[in-house]
Amino acid sequence: MMKVYKSSRRTLLFLLCLISSFAVFAQDKVVSGTVKDETGSPIPGVSVLVKGTTTGTLTDANGQFRISTKDTDVLSFTFVGYSASEISVGSQTNIEVSLKPDVTNLEEVVVTGYSVDKRRELTGAVSSVKAKDLVFAPTGNVEQMLQGRVPGVTVITNGQPGTTSQVRVRGFGAFGGNQPLYIVDGVPTADISFLNPDDIETTTVLKDAASASIYGARAASGVIVYTTKRGKRNQKLNVTYDGMYGFTSPGKGIDMMNPTDFADWTFNAIKNTAVQNGADPVAALATFNHPQFGKGPTPVIPDYLSVGGTPGITGTVDLDAEKLKYNVDPRKGSIYQVIAANKGGTDWFKEITRNAPVYRQTLGFSGGGESHRFYIGLSAQDQKGILLNNSLKRYAIRVNSEFDILKNLRVGENIQVTYRQALGLSGSSGGQGIAADENDILSAFRMPSIIPVHDVFGGYAGTAAKGFNNPRNPVASREGQANDRAFSGGVYGNIYAELDPIPGLTLRTSIGGNYQDVFGRNYSRWQYENSENNSAFGFSQFQSYSLAWTVTNTANYKLKFGEHNIDLLAGQEALNTGAGWNSSQNGINPFSWDPNYINITNLASTNPPFSSQSKGVNFSSYFGNVKYSFKEKYILGLVIRRDGSSRFSKNQRYGVFPAASAAWRISSEPFMQSVSFVNDLKIRGGYGAMGNSNNVDPLNQYSLYGGSVGNSSYDITGANSKATTGFYRTRIGNDEAKWETSITKNVGIDGLFFGGKLDVIVDFWQKDTKDLLYQLPITSTAGPNTNAPFVNIARMLNKGIDLAITTKGNFTGDLKYEATLTGSWLKNEITSIAPGQTYLTTVNPGFRGLNPIRNQLNYPISSFYGYIVEGLFQDAGDVSNHATQNGAAAGRLKYKDVNGDGKIDDNDRTFMGSPVPKFTGGFNFILRWKGIDLTAYMYTSLGGKIFNASRWFTDFYPSFQGAAIATRVKDSWTPTNTGATIPIFESASNFSTNQIANSYYVENGNYLRLQNVTVGYTFPASMVDKWKMTKLRVYAAANNLFTITKYKGLDPGVGGNADTNFGIDVGNYPLTKQYTLGLNLGF
Amino acid sequence: MKDVINKRIKSGVILAVIAVVSLLYSCKDSFLDVPVTGNLNAGLLSGKLGLENALIAIYSQVNGRAGRMASPSNWVWGSIRGGDAGKGTDPGDFSDINPIQRFEALASQGVILEKWNGNYEGIARANALLRLLKAPGPDVTDADKISYEAQAKFLRAHFYFELKRAFGNTPYVDENIDVLPSAGGVEGGIEKVKNDIDLYPKIEADMTIAYNNLPVTQSQVGKVNKGAATAYLGKIFLYEKKYTEAKAKFDEIVNPDGTGKGKTSNDKTYGLVPLFANVFKGTNDNNEESIWAYQSAANTGSVNNANPEFDLNWPYNTGSDGPGNCCSFFQPTFAMGNSFRTDALGQPLLDESYNSAANELVTDMSIETGSPWKATAEFAKDATVSRFDPAKPNQERVYVALAKNTGNDPLTDATNWKLVWVENTANPPMDPRIDHSIGRRGIPYLDWADPAKYTAFPGKAWIRNQPNAGPYATKKFVYYKTDKGTLQDNTSWTPGYTAINFPIIRFADVLLMAAEAEIEIGSLATALNYTNAVRNRAANPAGFVKDVDGTPAANYVITPYVFTDQADARTKVRFERKVELSGEGHRFFDLVRWGTANTELNAFLNYERNKTQLGALKSPDAVFHPGKDELLPIPQPQIDLVTADVLKQNPGF
Repeated sequence: MMKVYKSSRRTLLFLLCLISSFAVFAQDKVVSGTVKDETGSPIPGVSVLVKGTTTGTLTDANGQFRISTKDTDVLSFTFVGYSASEISVGSQTNIEVSLKPDVTNLEEVVVTGYSVDKRRELTGAVSSVKAKDLVFAPTGNVEQMLQGRVPGVTVITNGQPGTTSQVRVRGFGAFGGNQPLYIVDGVPTADISFLNPDDIETTTVLKDAASASIYGARAASGVIVYTTKRGKRNQKLNVTYDGMYGFTSPGKGIDMMNPTDFADWTFNAIKNTAVQNGADPVAALATFNHPQFGKGPTPVIPDYLSVGGTPGITGTVDLDAEKLKYNVDPRKGSIYQVIAANKGGTDWFKEITRNAPVYRQTLGFSGGGESHRFYIGLSAQDQKGILLNNSLKRYAIRVNSEFDILKNLRVGENIQVTYRQALGLSGSSGGQGIAADENDILSAFRMPSIIPVHDVFGGYAGTAAKGFNNPRNPVASREGQANDRAFSGGVYGNIYAELDPIPGLTLRTSIGGNYQDVFGRNYSRWQYENSENNSAFGFSQFQSYSLAWTVTNTANYKLKFGEHNIDLLAGQEALNTGAGWNSSQNGINPFSWDPNYINITNLASTNPPFSSQSKGVNFSSYFGNVKYSFKEKYILGLVIRRDGSSRFSKNQRYGVFPAASAAWRISSEPFMQSVSFVNDLKIRGGYGAMGNSNNVDPLNQYSLYGGSVGNSSYDITGANSKATTGFYRTRIGNDEAKWETSITKNVGIDGLFFGGKLDVIVDFWQKDTKDLLYQLPITSTAGPNTNAPFVNIARMLNKGIDLAITTKGNFTGDLKYEATLTGSWLKNEITSIAPGQTYLTTVNPGFRGLNPIRNQLNYPISSFYGYIVEGLFQDAGDVSNHATQNGAAAGRLKYKDVNGDGKIDDNDRTFMGSPVPKFTGGFNFILRWKGIDLTAYMYTSLGGKIFNASRWFTDFYPSFQGAAIATRVKDSWTPTNTGATIPIFESASNFSTNQIANSYYVENGNYLRLQNVTVGYTFPASMVDKWKMTKLRVYAAANNLFTITKYKGLDPGVGGNADTNFGIDVGNYPLTKQYTLGLNLGF
Repeated sequence: MKDVINKRIKSGVILAVIAVVSLLYSCKDSFLDVPVTGNLNAGLLSGKLGLENALIAIYSQVNGRAGRMASPSNWVWGSIRGGDAGKGTDPGDFSDINPIQRFEALASQGVILEKWNGNYEGIARANALLRLLKAPGPDVTDADKISYEAQAKFLRAHFYFELKRAFGNTPYVDENIDVLPSAGGVEGGIEKVKNDIDLYPKIEADMTIAYNNLPVTQSQVGKVNKGAATAYLGKIFLYEKKYTEAKAKFDEIVNPDGTGKGKTSNDKTYGLVPLFANVFKGTNDNNEESIWAYQSAANTGSVNNANPEFDLNWPYNTGSDGPGNCCSFFQPTFAMGNSFRTDALGQPLLDESYNSAANELVTDMSIETGSPWKATAEFAKDATVSRFDPAKPNQERVYVALAKNTGNDPLTDATNWKLVWVENTANPPMDPRIDHSIGRRGIPYLDWADPAKYTAFPGKAWIRNQPNAGPYATKKFVYYKTDKGTLQDNTSWTPGYTAINFPIIRFADVLLMAAEAEIEIGSLATALNYTNAVRNRAANPAGFVKDVDGTPAANYVITPYVFTDQADARTKVRFERKVELSGEGHRFFDLVRWGTANTELNAFLNYERNKTQLGALKSPDAVFHPGKDELLPIPQPQIDLVTADVLKQNPGF
């Protein structure tokens, strides 16, 4: 208080010097009052300021304030989330203020990195997300909640608790490393899975150079800045409890044939094959003897799929006698099982899934005194996945506090200690790549329904019963992971000190860090139930630790004279992205399979251990920022950052990234005053550069040798049981590689219309990444195992429109509404690669022989490439009239002769679509009636395609004959069903059937999802007061209630593990319906 | 106030100190010099130990590592394309191989690039060692230099030879050219090298240096020796039809009587292993027949050392009762099985009448393993069925219907059925090597037996998809039950990984190549000696596959050849290569160099096409096109990198 008062005095004196003639002096007096919210509850922590001065105070825990002022003063009341209110003091001594919830983005205060700005004065492209939008669903990683909330941000995620997601700010700037930089309380990180959503106070997304290049080198893919709750000074202890309980329902799988249809269609395939080969179908069925269904015109559904390995038994079996022979332990000799046919059909998707409970609770303590403030958060989240033995647990303690050592010196810290356990996660890059994996979800769609989960004596049943090819029992696979454990312990945070040596100048130093350690162990069963089994019981364990640190020093000087506001920032930062070790050990065949017995020591045989170390990447940076505004009408921003990184050699390690931006509040111009429906209108523009180095290995600068047992060992002595590891050239260095630079252009409009009822933010942007780092396309003659150097050759262009529209109002007196629409249009294009090249030859992922991806010049990243299916051949005439095509026959896929040369070959492959959505958006609608609130949130993704590779398995007989068949195959082509789009169901595997990537697999990925519906009730203050509480809200929510899509896979949210390689669905983990009940309490 | 100021100054100083210290620390230029971890720079490899390790890496690459298509076993490129075996398995499994066996290869196929890449990786590693040798460390003696150079060039010649056979001419790069220009007399521009020069002189030159400088024996058996270089050089000359030069080289390692003269690197005089089966036995690695073999090893921490290219090439659905368990790839063809037919005198059916209806082998196609006979069908006279007899589980029984009958069980209905396959005399005579090369029903499958259940290969039950790929399983390079866990590796997803060395050149191969050279420019008598040495070894009754009762498992009749004239000798030696070396990756390349690929392969395709109900060769498009299919297409992605002006596509693609 004293300090504020004193500094205000000084400021007044200063202002006097400038504009003394206007000074009017009046008598000081003390005014007191209470600030309440729209429900009449007092609001603590509201900033009360004498307008035009820095004199101010905060309301206490009861919403009360006292301030010295004069009759002529105007008091302004501001609080995050509420509209500011201004009241002329006049003769009043007691002022009652009611603040209204703020839906006007313009009044927001946004944390933009090293500083805090008012949205009114922003010149760059910055979006913020309300804290409440991050907590409505119990997701394991808060980044998922950004989906559709922030224009310009694309989030593709899946249903696995604890998964990472593909989060892209304004498209794909590079061929890799496009994940945004996260800043949590000033400390940079690549992973925010530790964050508890209830601890978050602000979330800000910096999208263009003008806003993000203060983070320079690592800002090219956007910056997402989180701050956590901090407590307020002079506030009584405030205890909050936020609890959410619910469950996720697994939903339905893909429709697969029941046992009868499956048997019939197996026989249909044999008939169709015979017809295609010009053979007699009746004779073919007489010869073809299915191990289970026999031969002849109609299949016989057996009673037993296996009795001691003999398939297709019809009749009764002496189970007592068989039980004596039963053995499912490979150590004890041959396997002997009796497997009954499940004539009712096993729903394998149902068998591997469950109604999965979830809860999240957070206990928050916040408060503060004259010289300190604090927030302590205790949180626990336990979320089971719909897949068995897939779960996430996170327990965290967060302590944020700040102390005034002196009036002008503050010391504080934001520290979180986290225990996190994510189990049963599949997919590379932390779960992100799951859609492209042959995982247990795919297995569930490959297991024929006639196979039961268990044999008659309780062991697992599976394709060891002959005739069903090679799917592995997914229930056994999931249950086999029951004892797997992996957990990480971590400490994340910073300590800082701030000094105000002279008024307006703040010096700040912060030391932050992130320490993580991980331990885990996995067991692998010795399988017996499948046709293809492993042959040992395996055990592995792994350990790692890493420590990253950041030191930041900044000086911030705010100067205000008259209508001029100047804000200067200069800073220095040094950091290491994380140094540490990791190691693992594994082996096979412990004497006992009891997990309590097993350790590495107790294994019968072990492989050589693995270990590796990392030193992390060092960055050293300097940056500065100037903001100037005049009357909030003309605003100018300049920012520059110079970064050095150990990723690059001495020659090229420094990069300078400047940006400039300006805004013009056109609504403040006299000529706009007559336009009554415009309350506020600001035009912004920015231009600048951001850097990126994520996509280059720090070793890129060196030519190196190395080796591993897998890549370069040899049994030179002929010992038969050991190999010496040799060295080969692992890397060709490029010491001239330098920063990628994204040049961004942004023009935006912030507008407030119709008395604040309509709030519009729109940005037109373009991001042109030049000097794009790209692995030098060198021929295999240099050694394909040698990492070719990354060189700055390519170029990528992203452009789009970001839009956020909010409207609010009252239907009737008490019935209020608020609707927010966000939308992002995105166009991504690879505009240049190495001279003479037309695509990235280095990226050609294969999915069972399908190679659907090509990163092509002049097309979006990760585009689908292959043959265009024009339809199905109808008859021999159709085949002979068409261009020559290998394997062509009636009912098979007819490809387009793209180059018109009369034959279908490699040269007829072409662009088949892109997984990059052209438009993503969200629509949030809130209705409030007295204490009741109803929220609905919808998300849509349009214009993206999905390559549904799972259909290779489910729609084609030759793709592992005997595995399950999708119900849709019933509508496949036959000579009498000529309008079909699904090819004839037959055995041939060739160019015209299942052998090659083509547009049959490419599906429309458009969808609209109702992501959340919440009904809440906030008890009125009068009632809550009686219970000595400050807040009580209960709510019920449903997530993902419906998804409207034509996509035939499980879920259209198909991501991938790499930007050059996504949109492939082999077995996506769906986002399914989730129901929760919640409680928010405050004391 | 003064206190306050002091405190303020103090705290300011503290803050400034923190800021300045961190500033200074990060300002140091060395702050951005982060050391390299887990890798070495070239300087560390110039010493003797470093060079030794660089050499190991070249040897390591010979098997193609994880690239199943890059192995010198050439199971797809030599054996499947040559008709020894089909892809096997299911139609859609690893469907990239389907167009290869149908001669519908597309230049964009990944399997083709894999062959290319595996060999160029080996070349790159050899070039890396040769570059390191330009500035060796002080502890490297001249003798060391010579040894390293000779080994590196041997291996480089091998990789180029593999490329030459598969693709024709490919870009020739040696240690004097690299990606980026750098010191040491190395030019840049490796990516601009055209494929317009004949590789053979380069291959010859490298192999000659190896030949001139390699020692007769080596301290480590895995290292190539003079004998290996001699044989390989002979093979190269033979491919070039330089018979004189080839003969000269073969003469250095073979005596005119067909016995060995040179030595293996572990100091064994070359010779034929007495029992044919022991050539493919892990416990008998590095035997006298092993001129150059890839040293395979199990349980090393990576199955890439344990013949990873064969991990799919095993019987199916065996559970723990059989080896490998997955995935029924590489099933010998009907035609290959028939090729082992001999006449009653023990001579092969060189007129290819082995594929005729009268001579082709009776197989268990469409007959279930051990299932009780279901007497529902009606059988015509002379119908044959196979019947598994629980009383004699070790023997296959084939019954012929004596009269039309209503499907009585031949086991109990002696009046209607005649058992035709119990006496050797009633059995078709066969080359004994069939049952070392092909797993077929009724014949013991190495030592894979469980007396309570089966003593012989059970047939259909161990075949993944008989209607698609026929009744046979591969048998060479299969591990023995007694070697489970020691010469076999259980640490991966499937058990089919072994420590059985793969013989890239074995003495029998050399004998037959030497015979070819003799036939062209030398003595038919010597050629006959060489060839009959191979046949006589096969004829050793001690090596016959035997039933539990100790009798031969089938009617094995094999006798030495007599050559009537040069043409006859050619035919016989060529046929001998087919049956001796089946499944070892030679056949396709042999057919191409003999100029007989068109007739042989199209005859094979026409026969095989009708043998299965669903098979990959059913397509009428499965045709060998002379002038085109002798070579693989140059991988399209490689052409796309450097344009068609630099890398010229092979004719027809």
